[in-house]
Amino acid sequence: MQRSTIRISSLLHAAVAIAVGAFAAPPAAAATQQELEAQLAALASEVSTLRSELARVSQEQQATNARAAVPVQVLGQTTDSATVAEAESGLDFFGYGQIDYSRPKDEPSDTTETVSRFVVGMTNEFDEKTRMVSELEVENTVSSADDPGEVEVEQLYIERTFDDRLFGKVGLFLIPSGLLNENHEPTRFYGVFRNRVETAIIPTTWREGGMLMQGTTEFGLRWDAGLTTGFDLSKWDPTSPEGKESPLGSIHQELALAKASDMSGIFALNYTGIPGVRLGASIFSGDAAQGQPGFDDNVVTLWEAHGTWTPGKFEFAALYANGHISNTSKVNLTFIGNPTLIPESFYGWYGQAAYDLFDWDGNSVRPFVRFERLNTASNYSDLSPGLTPENGPDQDIITGGFSFLFAQGVVLKADYQHFHGIGGSDLINFGMGYQF
Amino acid sequence: MAEADRGVFGLVGAAMLMMPTSVVVAAEYLTIDAAQRAIFPSADSFEPFVLALTGEQKSAIVGLAGPQPPHGSLRVWKAVHAGVPLGYVLLDEVIGRSDLITYAIGIGSDGALTPVEVLAYRESHGAEIRNAAWRRQFADRRDLSELEFRIDIKNISGATLSSEHVTQGVRWLLALWETVLREPSHRS
Repeated sequence: MQRSTIRISSLLHAAVAIAVGAFAAPPAAAATQQELEAQLAALASEVSTLRSELARVSQEQQATNARAAVPVQVLGQTTDSATVAEAESGLDFFGYGQIDYSRPKDEPSDTTETVSRFVVGMTNEFDEKTRMVSELEVENTVSSADDPGEVEVEQLYIERTFDDRLFGKVGLFLIPSGLLNENHEPTRFYGVFRNRVETAIIPTTWREGGMLMQGTTEFGLRWDAGLTTGFDLSKWDPTSPEGKESPLGSIHQELALAKASDMSGIFALNYTGIPGVRLGASIFSGDAAQGQPGFDDNVVTLWEAHGTWTPGKFEFAALYANGHISNTSKVNLTFIGNPTLIPESFYGWYGQAAYDLFDWDGNSVRPFVRFERLNTASNYSDLSPGLTPENGPDQDIITGGFSFLFAQGVVLKADYQHFHGIGGSDLINFGMGYQF
Repeated sequence: MAEADRGVFGLVGAAMLMMPTSVVVAAEYLTIDAAQRAIFPSADSFEPFVLALTGEQKSAIVGLAGPQPPHGSLRVWKAVHAGVPLGYVLLDEVIGRSDLITYAIGIGSDGALTPVEVLAYRESHGAEIRNAAWRRQFADRRDLSELEFRIDIKNISGATLSSEHVTQGVRWLLALWETVLREPSHRS
């Protein structure tokens, strides 16, 4: 606008100068009437040109003003001024959280309620193509030597946009495995608690350090390929039940002084080219020996396949995951006599159906039901006769409940869980969650 | 290096080798000019259009469109061919997961939507929003009742926030058209 003002001012000065020049000539030098008429004609032509130029500049100025003014003027009722300011500064914040209440039907004295997660995320754009993404999480409210809580840096990476379909990440990031790991906020999954398969078999929220490339294609294929840190089998505690609850969850490193002499690879494909459909698979593999004494060539491989389909108000999801740890016999022989040996393989799958029962003004009530089957120790490698542990039991979990989503990012949940194969009381769960 | 490690590196290496060919083809950012031409290919000019809404009109638009994510800037052009208006090109920005998505859509003189064109997507999470099949779902829809997220415009699993927010943004633009831009002779 300033540039246009200067241009208009210059033109006016020029016009005045021409006019003054034309009429300020002394009478002694007066020209003939014919010459004066010619000068007037020239002056009229100049004025006409200047008028045209002024009109053009004025139009440009109006257009510039419109571009600057319209966003605020038109979207004032939906645009948060703080958001605009943050967008301009490149700094932005996001977060999610969840509080859960869980009551065992047959053992009410074990009822608990906790702030399961309180997460604050921050992103910063260094330039148009370079961003930092971070997430800081507090689990179970209080973290100290005498409390059950944890404080974790869940994500911390730099993301570079190479073009609008190719991204690269370096740092601590989520592994693109399964349906939940990259989309684990409480408004994004059904049930008060995350499904067991994507907790016990895929150790959601699973993150590693390294580098990852991601690309998408026009026809709906997304690929991810990366080189990352992996698991550390020397963390396996044969005296603890943790390995039976989640084999990989008990040996993940979360980039906390992670042993990194052996790196792992991740490759994932997801197809969303048909609206309402997602089909995908991933494989993660790498040596978990990490050069530690007594461990050698203990390759951990986890692969999974998944799909979702949303016909109308229905929403279906299914996933199968399978894990394998190689050369466990040698390590397990040193664990004989302990309750938890290292399984050679483990697996799980689930199917889930949900329905958008009521939907009004952005609020929604969605009942759902889910069946899960998993086995955290479906096979052990052979030891000497009589020493090889029996394979673990299949565990079935049936979960039914609903989510009430409202206010563009808040959810209330309730569900009932029935367990089969591992014992334990049925659970009645209630939860609150949010995401912004 | 263990044999398994070599297998892993081979896997990653092979994967990376197969990528660029499919990526480079579609690597260009979409400019405003290109988006305008994609939306109304037959237009010979796109005239900037200034909007000044009254409070009453703003309330009416929000009432029609429903809940909205945070928006960025909005620009409007009238598409013209041989002096005859073809419709409007509306360029809007909505929050995806944590960054703005810049997208444009056309609304013809008869109220028919064109496919959405995504000009800029600034974060890897939810980048599936650029899928051609998903963007085409908006084409030829004329009424807000035909723009129900999940029902008419399908969710992209893994890009839920981005797909929902763009759908909500398009609802706002169509409500704006119905309230302000629609020719009086076409008003119901």
